[in-house]
Amino acid sequence: MNVAIAMVSGPISPACHATWWPDGSGRCAIAGGALVSFDGVVRPLEGNQAIDALDYEAYEPMASRQLRQLGERVARDYALLALACWHSIGRVGVGQASLRVQLAGAHRAEVIAALGAFIDALKVDVPIWKSPVWAE
Amino acid sequence: MDVRVRLFGPEARLLGVPEVIVSLGPGSTLSTLRASLAARYDGLHQSLTHARFAVNHEFAPDSHVVRPGDEVALIGLVSGG
Repeated sequence: MNVAIAMVSGPISPACHATWWPDGSGRCAIAGGALVSFDGVVRPLEGNQAIDALDYEAYEPMASRQLRQLGERVARDYALLALACWHSIGRVGVGQASLRVQLAGAHRAEVIAALGAFIDALKVDVPIWKSPVWAE
Repeated sequence: MDVRVRLFGPEARLLGVPEVIVSLGPGSTLSTLRASLAARYDGLHQSLTHARFAVNHEFAPDSHVVRPGDEVALIGLVSGG
């Protein structure tokens, strides 16, 4: 099963993509008809209060293991061709990405549904916590 | 048997420490551990109504018997993403 998981220190780089994501020529190295890439980005407000960043803490290796098991389950349940996920640990500033998920499948419906299912479960079963860094 | 319980996120901030040590009798379960934590740490009362335990990096039910050397973690509400 083509599932790749990585924990990244700090924000996720814009250059960070799955090995099968379309390259400079625009060609995708996977035989799917639907690709989705999602970035979760740090918002400027926590509640009504301004923040500068979020600090992410993970319980490793459980967090990586849970992410992998979740990715494999979602890929199987939604008949995906591939799923890749990066999650930040440490400090991520406002406007920067702390989560990237890239999925490939035969058709858009299952890929879009799989993205929602993956993130919903991540927010329940993966031991990662964030705490706000309040703006001065 | 002394059991080291790792704490993260809100629970670690509530107690101000990354772990606590709890003494349990032989054959004790995670349910016993939950009750011991509730009796000893007022600050954890609310978290303990919903928090899960992980043993050796896997979620475990309250019926799980704790063994010497187990790595136990209290997993409260997570907030990744």
